[in-house]
Amino acid sequence: MDQERKNKILPYLMLMPAMAIMAIVVIYPIFSCIATSFTQEEAGGFGLENYLYFLADPMQLTNIGYTLAIVLVTVVLAVGIAYLLSIYLRFSNSRVSRWIGKLYLLPRFIPGLVAVNGMITIISNSGLLNRLSRLFGADWQLGLIYDAKGIILMNLWFNIPFATMLMGAAMSAINNSEIEAAKDVGAGKLRIFWKIILPLTYRDIFISATFVFMSNISSFTTPYLMGGNYPTMMGVTMYNLYGNQHFGRSAALSVIMFILSALSAVMYIYVNMRKDQWEKN
Amino acid sequence: MKIPTPRSLYYGLGKANFIQYILFAVFLIFFYLPLANLMMLAFGNKYEMPAIIPQEFGFKWWQFVFQQNSLLSAIVTSFVLAIIVTIVSLLICVPAAYALARYDFPGKSIFQFSFLFSNAFPKMGLYIAIAIVYYKLNLMGTWLGVILLHVINTMMFMTWIPMGAFRSVHRQQEESARDVGAGPFRTFMKITFPLALPGITVASIFTFLASIEEAQGTLMVGFPDIKTVPVELYGIIMQYPTTAGPVLSFILLIPALLILILGRKYISVDSISKGYNVH
Repeated sequence: MDQERKNKILPYLMLMPAMAIMAIVVIYPIFSCIATSFTQEEAGGFGLENYLYFLADPMQLTNIGYTLAIVLVTVVLAVGIAYLLSIYLRFSNSRVSRWIGKLYLLPRFIPGLVAVNGMITIISNSGLLNRLSRLFGADWQLGLIYDAKGIILMNLWFNIPFATMLMGAAMSAINNSEIEAAKDVGAGKLRIFWKIILPLTYRDIFISATFVFMSNISSFTTPYLMGGNYPTMMGVTMYNLYGNQHFGRSAALSVIMFILSALSAVMYIYVNMRKDQWEKN
Repeated sequence: MKIPTPRSLYYGLGKANFIQYILFAVFLIFFYLPLANLMMLAFGNKYEMPAIIPQEFGFKWWQFVFQQNSLLSAIVTSFVLAIIVTIVSLLICVPAAYALARYDFPGKSIFQFSFLFSNAFPKMGLYIAIAIVYYKLNLMGTWLGVILLHVINTMMFMTWIPMGAFRSVHRQQEESARDVGAGPFRTFMKITFPLALPGITVASIFTFLASIEEAQGTLMVGFPDIKTVPVELYGIIMQYPTTAGPVLSFILLIPALLILILGRKYISVDSISKGYNVH
């Protein structure tokens, strides 16, 4: 009896330290953040002041729009390129394909700041690109640094390998026999793609898009070091607001960011639920 | 020797190969040129316009970095912190992983998914939330605060990967150890733990690396007393993007490269994507 009771409590005891930390460092701060976002700095008491600040201030609206634009371009380009790359890696047996397969994961292990520093040495106004152009007597100033283009370029560097990895897992789950069977009955490459590869992997396109969206909407390091002074991405805006002791406003911007992420998570759940429907057909 | 023109390459290699080599070149230039350039610049003493390769190589900027006490102490802080975080994370997450892998109890799936929680929020938003709480609790700029932030960052990997490893240990192996008289703890230490060790090792490697390279969270909550290499790098990259920046970046890269080379056996696409539980 005693042993049995011990066995019932034991798993909870083993989970307790992890749960306690989760409660103190994640869950409590989230609720506290929501509460803080309704705490008014000027009028005092509780209210919508902090949210209205973001909705009424044209500069802040520009910042939010700027963030969304960069993130959407990043999602479309990164997931699109990664999807093609993962198909190539899965279905080509060439030497190049094997080499890329070995090399594409490295960026996952490179600290973000190191990669940003590396990219700055290439694209800054006195960077390698400019120096190379001078060899040909030109003087390229592509204006990549301190601009949305540079941020997107850096985002692609981080997210193409990541999305390729996620979708590569789905690609490797496709049976060779299915493809062979389709070929045997005379299906062309395009048809195989539409009828076999896409139905088996479209969920993973959305899953990758959700992950890329979430990690980029809150990005900080890249826009902090490679972005201009204005507009700024939300992560940088938040950091500056917090640094200027505008806790309420930075909390409100966090909540806005949570809501935007939640919207993308809804898509993730929706796609997962549709899975059954698709498989019925 | 004749220098091949694009045209002769196109016909020499064939169309399909030619396109593949172009793809490979673009791949290498985009992903590896920034790193290669950075590593070269770490050893450049003199890199003035319009040189592509530094006019003079040497260790001038390494000397500069090692003469700065703040940077030296940041290097020490980074390594000590990563070691503490890995140990704390192991102590907290391995029992949790074992409980989830081996016991059935009410609420199990909720517990399992709650480990996703710290990764379900946009990072910077979560850090702001944590910073606001830390400010109230006087945890800003403390080791405890920074360690806790690093631990929650790695909890998902640290629980899910060992959980999978524990599940793949056959119960029969444990039972046969129990049959010959080993107690539950002895069974765990002699049978279960060694068999799950590869998974736990991978998770620990990820945790260590994640802690070494964690930048924005530490910048937020470590201020002003806890400065790791990444925190210092923010300022250094802004001030010295082609000199001290590359040197410090190089130093930050060493553990990642070392572990990757030593741990090649354990690290694969599968083991990484498992952490995201795509399937």
